[in-house]
Amino acid sequence: MLEAEGLHVGYGDAPALWDVSLTVGCGELVAVVGPNGAGKTTLVNAIARLLPIRRGRLRLDQDDVTHVSAQAVCRAGVALIPEGRRLFGGMSVEENLEMGAYRADARRHRADGLERVYALFPILRERRRQLAGSLSGGQQQMVAIGRALMARPRLLLVDEPSLGLAPVVVDQVFAVIETIHRNGVAILLIEQNAARALAVATRAYVLDGGRVVSAGRPAELLARPHIREAYLGEDL
Amino acid sequence: MLLVAAGLALAAVPALEPPAFFESLLYLVFHWIALATSWAILSGFSGYFSFGHGAFFGAGMYTTATLAATYGVPFLWTLPAAGAVAALLGVGIGAVVFRVRRLRGELFALLTMAVTFVLATVVLNTWIDGGPGVFLSAVEVPRIVASPASTIYLLGLTVALAAVVAAWAVQRARFGRGLFAIADDEDVAEVLGVPTYRFKLVAFGVSCFLAGVTGGIHALFVIYVTVAETFSITVPLYVVLMSVLGGARHWLGPAIGATFVTLLTFAFVGGEWAVVGRAAIGLTLIAVILFLPEGIMGLTRRRERGRARGFPAIPAGATSPGAPALGIMPGSPRTMLVCRDVRKAFRGVQALAGVDLEVREGEILGLVGPNGSGKSTLINVVSGYYRPEAGRILLDGRDLARESGHRIARLGVARTYQIPRPFSRLTVLDNVALAAMFGPAVLDRAGAEREARRWLEFVGLAERAQALPSELNLHQRKFLELARALAAAPRLVLLDEVLSGLTPAEMADAVALVRRIRDRGATIVFIEHVMRAVLDLTDRAVVLNYGQVIAEGRPRDVMRQPDVVVAYLGKIHA
Amino acid sequence: MPSLTLLGQSLLSGLFIGGLYGLFGLGLSLSWGLLRLINLAHFALIFLGAYLTYHLTTTAGLDPFLALLVIAPTFFVLGVALQAAFARLGVGEFASLLVTFGLTVVIESVIQGIWTADFRRLESPYGTAALRAGPLFLPVTEVLILVAAAVLSVATWAWLRYTYVGKALRAGAEDPAIAAAFGVDHRRLALLLSGLGAAYAGVAGTFVALLYTLAPSQIYAWIGVVFAVVIIGGLGKPLGPLVAGIAIGISEAITMALTAPSWAPLVSFTLLILVLVLRPDRV
Repeated sequence: MLEAEGLHVGYGDAPALWDVSLTVGCGELVAVVGPNGAGKTTLVNAIARLLPIRRGRLRLDQDDVTHVSAQAVCRAGVALIPEGRRLFGGMSVEENLEMGAYRADARRHRADGLERVYALFPILRERRRQLAGSLSGGQQQMVAIGRALMARPRLLLVDEPSLGLAPVVVDQVFAVIETIHRNGVAILLIEQNAARALAVATRAYVLDGGRVVSAGRPAELLARPHIREAYLGEDL
Repeated sequence: MLLVAAGLALAAVPALEPPAFFESLLYLVFHWIALATSWAILSGFSGYFSFGHGAFFGAGMYTTATLAATYGVPFLWTLPAAGAVAALLGVGIGAVVFRVRRLRGELFALLTMAVTFVLATVVLNTWIDGGPGVFLSAVEVPRIVASPASTIYLLGLTVALAAVVAAWAVQRARFGRGLFAIADDEDVAEVLGVPTYRFKLVAFGVSCFLAGVTGGIHALFVIYVTVAETFSITVPLYVVLMSVLGGARHWLGPAIGATFVTLLTFAFVGGEWAVVGRAAIGLTLIAVILFLPEGIMGLTRRRERGRARGFPAIPAGATSPGAPALGIMPGSPRTMLVCRDVRKAFRGVQALAGVDLEVREGEILGLVGPNGSGKSTLINVVSGYYRPEAGRILLDGRDLARESGHRIARLGVARTYQIPRPFSRLTVLDNVALAAMFGPAVLDRAGAEREARRWLEFVGLAERAQALPSELNLHQRKFLELARALAAAPRLVLLDEVLSGLTPAEMADAVALVRRIRDRGATIVFIEHVMRAVLDLTDRAVVLNYGQVIAEGRPRDVMRQPDVVVAYLGKIHA
Repeated sequence: MPSLTLLGQSLLSGLFIGGLYGLFGLGLSLSWGLLRLINLAHFALIFLGAYLTYHLTTTAGLDPFLALLVIAPTFFVLGVALQAAFARLGVGEFASLLVTFGLTVVIESVIQGIWTADFRRLESPYGTAALRAGPLFLPVTEVLILVAAAVLSVATWAWLRYTYVGKALRAGAEDPAIAAAFGVDHRRLALLLSGLGAAYAGVAGTFVALLYTLAPSQIYAWIGVVFAVVIIGGLGKPLGPLVAGIAIGISEAITMALTAPSWAPLVSFTLLILVLVLRPDRV
């Protein structure tokens, strides 16, 4: 479904990704793990078309989307759960969810979508009128997930869902991610917490210093030294 | 020099008995030179654009009008009073406003504009004016020269010269450098040792004093002082335009702009042309802001610097080993910095939840931890950008927790930023010299430039001394940051993700440089994610997680500890 | 101590002028709050609208409100053009203040060039008509201003609150990148909003022509109080300028009744200074 080939992405004159290639098949949950600073968020933002791609190709179902706008890729069925949530803090929970369904295809099913999100996260129904910026970290993450679901995506980009959350909340979040996966949505999961990510992933890539250093099934990756090297410096 | 010659020549003009209109015109040129230059001393140099210059000008004007006309004080005595009243007003406002971090940029402009309206209303409604205006026709013009018009001309010339000389002196002094740094990045300036609050107040005071005196003289020129004329939009608008047109960051810029605009306005005087003239002024302001933000003087400066294009890479080993020494030699492992239970929260998020750590003299301490663990916050707190809510930060026994950023810099703490924050409108050399000027050694300009050159050689940037930071690539900008941090000869250097964004070759270069810095005698705290570098470079490592220290010790030992592995990788269910 | 009737009449005029402040501030608040552009030229546009109303009414014999129907759409287009220029030239928040300062002077010069600096007074068909409520007079024009201000403010508020476009605008103002990731084209919406603000300026201008004697220098007289209204009312909140405007209008009116009319400006500016110094995060 999603195919990235030889991506080079940078900020100004500072390159952040070198020759990164990956694929996400329909219904797969693909994880990208790696230490902080490896370029994981840069990768997600490039795929969501929030960053320009300098070299390489990005394909969504055979369509070349390397240089299309973020709005276009959203219309094609890609939804983003950004790092740090990035909710519209001055708007209510329900308004944030509604904004998720902004694109025409999703807007038609808005009411239905809201019901489903509230069923998934009952506490949000209670707090639907509350300002999104006033919620706790965990609740904000739920809104961010709900907002993306409202877009009725075929591909979900999840960027560091565990960031800044207490372990117990992270459990809940990952449970939801697994549920979404079981419902057939393809997921690209960016995560610093390698253990959690590998526990739910179909396949995974290890990103270090802007390059893919290893790829394969979780069990394979755990057996290799690359992950520990990337995070901890050496195969200790 | 040239100014003195020009001044003397202009002073001699009345002796030639020119037509009255000519003297008046020249007086007006001087008047606007004085107003625009005095505005630029605060607003042009420090970037705090004031839209309220009219308030201080008006305060001066009315002080003279009131003292001379109502109380019969001899005119010349009213002038220093006018200046003093205006200066007090300005400093009073500044004392309150400059403390509030949010009140910069457009808010400062609006605030100063509001002050003008308040002052105008007060003057209009009280005994100072009361409505009908103040007549100075009965005021005796001091007999400096034969004709009153010429006397006023000379007074105008004097205050214009005073303003220009003041601007020139400020720009050349350490004070001026500090103001320029404030304009580019006030927070970085503070942390480099510039006493930002004090400098802004002084600049404001000088600026207002000159505006007040100019107002006092102008009262005698117009003879009839009214609120509507004095506090109109003209003064604030014109001083901004003139300074921006001529170059707000140059001592002569506002004078050039003032001369140009005043003469242009006079060319269009009378009838329909006046309107065209006004429109032209508005259009000029727009064009200048959009296309020539540094004004006419900015153009000449660009040509001077003779730009060298291209980004020559810093060749490996280019850094010079013969650089000045810092601190004391390693080998004496005494504790330099102690953090005890340091806490800092932001809107509900506890970034630092009781950090306890020590930094020993002469070591390279690695500060590591997953994203969001509080590393950058800790650096920000130690260097003084944030105040902690609780806890103590002792540098050789002195508690930094309550100190302001510039004082912490003076005590010998320096830092770099993950995304370099150079002063964008200062050259590479000036960037580094600034740190030397305001660091613990407090050098004068010449000494600071010498130090700066030495450190630029140390990091391999000596050839780019006259370049602007925007002309450097990321690697060079990082090294510039390092040179700037070191030029203050600090005892403790805090490096925030120095390696991020660098290619492997550049990283090797940077690591070598850090080692050489330590060899000079500095103590370094090194935040980094590139683990290999941490293992290579650091003597000890401290791991932060969720705002607390969870491990400390030799890097290899620490990275092997189970709770550290879990913090990074998570619990692996095998 | 003034009589009850006088006090009551003062309160009413404060209410009405508050409505005008609200109308003035609506466009400014929207563009500053949602587009991060400080449009000083808003005031010049208002007066341009006023002069155009005057012109169309006196020379073409149009009813002022018909003139409004011509002016508002024209100004909408002007607003779109201005925003397009700003976007193309990459003008930031602070630069926008200076550029629109220059633009104000240019527009003022154009006004003076066409209509001279002489005072212009529109002889309105609605002239001195007034409703009566007991001993109190409610001039028709002023009531209309209040109604117009209320209608436009509430309509804008409802539009921003309940429609998808309005929500998209609010989202785009907060985080244009993430809004884009969900399909919002903030640049197009910004054009729409700028046009709307300019159209509002045109409406305000028509009412100014009906109420006041026009002179080009009058443009500057309103800047201070309207900025106070906008900041106190909260940037980007459509109901803010109206509420703050009425509050300030009434405070000014009471001040005027108890002291002298010329003290009135002190109220708004002192409030502005206090808000800026004590609550700078409102901006």
